[in-house]
Amino acid sequence: MAPENIQTFPSTSLTLGAGARATPLDDLESVVALHQPRVLRFLLAQLRDRDAAETLTQETFLRAWSARSSFREDCSIGTWLIRIALNLARDHTRTGRFRFWKHVSTNAVDVADVAASVPNREGSAEMHLIAQEQVKRIWETVAGLTERQRTIFLLRFLEEMEIPEIAEVTGLPLGTVKSHLYRALNIVRTHHTTQSREGL
Amino acid sequence: MTPELTLQPDNNARRPMGEGHLTEEQFGELIAGSAKAAAAETAPAEAHLQGCEQCAAELASLRECLSLYREASTAYADRELRRIPQVKLPARRPLLFPGLESAYWAAAAAAIFLAALLPMQTLHRRAAQPAPAVAAGAASVSVGSESDEALLDDVNREESASVPAAMQALEDPSGSTASAGVETSNQTLDQRKD
Repeated sequence: MAPENIQTFPSTSLTLGAGARATPLDDLESVVALHQPRVLRFLLAQLRDRDAAETLTQETFLRAWSARSSFREDCSIGTWLIRIALNLARDHTRTGRFRFWKHVSTNAVDVADVAASVPNREGSAEMHLIAQEQVKRIWETVAGLTERQRTIFLLRFLEEMEIPEIAEVTGLPLGTVKSHLYRALNIVRTHHTTQSREGL
Repeated sequence: MTPELTLQPDNNARRPMGEGHLTEEQFGELIAGSAKAAAAETAPAEAHLQGCEQCAAELASLRECLSLYREASTAYADRELRRIPQVKLPARRPLLFPGLESAYWAAAAAAIFLAALLPMQTLHRRAAQPAPAVAAGAASVSVGSESDEALLDDVNREESASVPAAMQALEDPSGSTASAGVETSNQTLDQRKD
């Protein structure tokens, strides 16, 4: 839960001294507005826990602001933020507390809610229902992947990162990323084709 | 939208290219591979897709499904974003004179430097003047010993004296001091008689 003694971040023009090195994170309000949806989306899919995703999204920007002087601009802000979010998610899921609360949490992401968010393109109601079922099946399949496969799958297909970028964020060799990605994709594909064959 | 709805793909997702369909790796390259991937890498798979409706349909179906997955997840996250409060961070107290922040830091650094320097200077001064300090100490010791000797001499003198100092006035009544006193007292008596 967020501490009580916090306030909305003020205009940074008040806080930055003349001698301070300017970073793209100085305009934090813009950075948050641009990247918060993406960070939250990744954490929701990765953790499947709304409270944890919300808290860690907050924490991601807090960490980014605290460490803004160490941002060397060798990658985009979005990539840097996702890397922070991923590290926080890893730390979070490795605690026993997370494993305990995962069983009793009432704030877990409801897959039906996600499936209901499928945009209704021009098509019949039946098509829309089938599309919802497909999304639901993928969401469940992704939840069943190993942590590493899921992370790489989400970074590629949810965050649309290129493979070298994923290697940078995860700190894994390019070949390892590809291997996990293709394995994850194959699992998803198998479930998907099975579902299609069953007539959905 | 839905080539996938009528798709009846081969059950073996890992079938090798030799059997006439795409391998797992080729499928991965086509769907997840970099858009900038060398054409030479995907050329055989692309060529296969031209002649294999089944693989083409499966590829299109999976692509469509992954696209739906992303759109649904994005829409869900956007809805959640409206539910949760805005990201908040600890507010930093604005400086009285924002342009002088570096001056504040310089002053603080100078204060710390001086605080560390002063004890060092004192130590240096003490270290630089050892001899006078010893001499002064020796002098004070000698002065102290002289005064002690004088005191002892006084004591010895008093003890060796036959008459204590307080009784010396009575030792010689005809002495000048005593006679003067007697004269004074006699004068007083004479005046009273008058």
